[in-house]
Amino acid sequence: MATIELKDLTKHYKQGATIVKAVDGINLTIESGEFVSVVGRSGSGKTTTLDLLGLLLRPTAGQIVLDGVDTGKLRDGARADLRAKKLGFIFQEFNLLSTLNAIQNVMLPLRYYKNGTDGKVRAAALLEEVGLKDRMHHRPDQMSGGEKQRVAIARSLINRPSLVLGDEPTGEVDSETSQQLIGLMRRMNREYGVTFVIVTHDMDIAAQTDRTIRLKDGKVLSDVRTDADQSYLTKLERGEGVA
Amino acid sequence: MEIIRNLTRRKLRNILTISGIVIGVLALVTMGAMAEKFNALLSGGATYFGSNVQVADSSTGGISAFGGGLLTLDRVAALEQVAGVAAAFPDISVSAKPGSTNTVSFGVPDYISNSDPRANDYSAFKIHLAQGREVSTTTNGEVVLGSDFATEFKKHVGDTIDLPIRATDAPPDFVNHTFTVVGILAKTQTAPDTGAYVNLTDAQMLLKETLPASIRASIDTSKLVNGATVYGKPGVDLDKLADKINAEVPGVKATKPSVLVASFNSGGAIFTAITTGAALIALVVGGLSVINTMLMAVTERVREIGLKKAIGAKVGDILREYLLEAVLIGGIGGAIGLLLGWGLTSLINAATASANLSLFLLTWRLVIVAILFSVGLGAVAGIIPALRASRMDPVQALRAA
Repeated sequence: MATIELKDLTKHYKQGATIVKAVDGINLTIESGEFVSVVGRSGSGKTTTLDLLGLLLRPTAGQIVLDGVDTGKLRDGARADLRAKKLGFIFQEFNLLSTLNAIQNVMLPLRYYKNGTDGKVRAAALLEEVGLKDRMHHRPDQMSGGEKQRVAIARSLINRPSLVLGDEPTGEVDSETSQQLIGLMRRMNREYGVTFVIVTHDMDIAAQTDRTIRLKDGKVLSDVRTDADQSYLTKLERGEGVA
Repeated sequence: MEIIRNLTRRKLRNILTISGIVIGVLALVTMGAMAEKFNALLSGGATYFGSNVQVADSSTGGISAFGGGLLTLDRVAALEQVAGVAAAFPDISVSAKPGSTNTVSFGVPDYISNSDPRANDYSAFKIHLAQGREVSTTTNGEVVLGSDFATEFKKHVGDTIDLPIRATDAPPDFVNHTFTVVGILAKTQTAPDTGAYVNLTDAQMLLKETLPASIRASIDTSKLVNGATVYGKPGVDLDKLADKINAEVPGVKATKPSVLVASFNSGGAIFTAITTGAALIALVVGGLSVINTMLMAVTERVREIGLKKAIGAKVGDILREYLLEAVLIGGIGGAIGLLLGWGLTSLINAATASANLSLFLLTWRLVIVAILFSVGLGAVAGIIPALRASRMDPVQALRAA
């Protein structure tokens, strides 16, 4: 089953008298459970594409079909509901609430989407899975960048989403932490069957995903599936490179 | 929980904003309590004087208790003969502190009056005993004290009190008499609180002593009173009764109750205007500082708002969170202001009780107004910042510096 279909997706901005074609007719299908990276230079349209996928922007033309739902026809409230139920977000700068501790941050999405009564139990389980069992009651200012991003990864999964979007999720941490985070995301992708789409400029990170989509001037330049023996799953089966 | 933490995030700023509301509500509560006291004083008067016709000697204007010529008792008897009159009671009222230099008072100055327990059956304004019993009509030398009067002189049932009270600079011919306190009235917040009530015979004796010594001996005060209070039979229009008395009984002047009630009410309107003024100032000052604080909070938390929208918060969710925060600021300020106001008014009332001055009356309705006011202020002031937060574009908010 196709999770996401992008059909002639277009986003144009007016900037003074000129029109900026940030996204200019993208056609893509992302299957359920895929781990996809989107790469490209700055200005290539990768962030705009991610914002469109996250239902944070409305396209100028074209469609985004999420699990069979044409999102273009939905009102703002329904789009917010869809974000709450189906999407998870991970940001470069973590975007944790400084007033909340780790477990409260993980539970934040449940404030806007009540999904069962076991929220606290699930949040604790997720924090344990990302390796922060002992840091549950720490505030963000008491945590390292890698730890904060682990909290954000746990937060992105609390609502049992079908798609997690990452905007440069390893952009703020050192390369070792970055490897740990990508490993963690891959594990979550496999364990929960959640589709991941991450925007990155780091080719090492992109190389560890199933599929790399390269954008240029708002168009798809290349769409490459990683070789089977290079892929994470194969390595995992061989017992290599597991975070 | 998050909202409370948000308030502690910028402690100084929020303390300052809350202080602004505290001052506003404090002003509202103290001014309001003063107005409530004054209104109670006036509404008691309006109730009492609205339910009877005040009759005085024809040379007097308005209420005989506040001075004027004397009336003879046979005139009071004549009043009872007028058709429509249910009862007429003679009134005597003399100052309880003659010659006292402290004459300007917030309220009715201490006075001594005659009391007839039967008047309570007719009057719309009921007076109740807190302790003891009424004065005897036949045994002289007994007194019932109003509650403030008793507090001022620290008297209880069974104590004795010399009336009128001797001033420190009393003239050598000043005389007073020892009375036994037989009862103390329940607090009314109005005129009876500062009164001392004796029987008619004792009141006439005290009235005689207020006359100049040169004419005192030549007058038989057992026939004289200051005025009379006339009660109508059920269903009788008191204004028309006053006209009828003026037409039928010579030498007296009956005042229409509607005239007296109107003069009481106009006094209350001034105080209500003062309270409203204080409330408006509090609204403007407190409201503006809440708006400012909340706008700053919204600006600081742009990314948080963007994140919340990304994870599914709707316009209404964000609106609610920020309004609640503003309401909380208003509510905390209001609660502290109310407590301070209560403390301040109680303290001042206690300090001035011995001077027979009760300035403030903190009523439940004022408490409710103050709470609703501060919470409502927060809500109104929070609207603009909350709208700004809720309408933020998530894409721009998330990437804000």
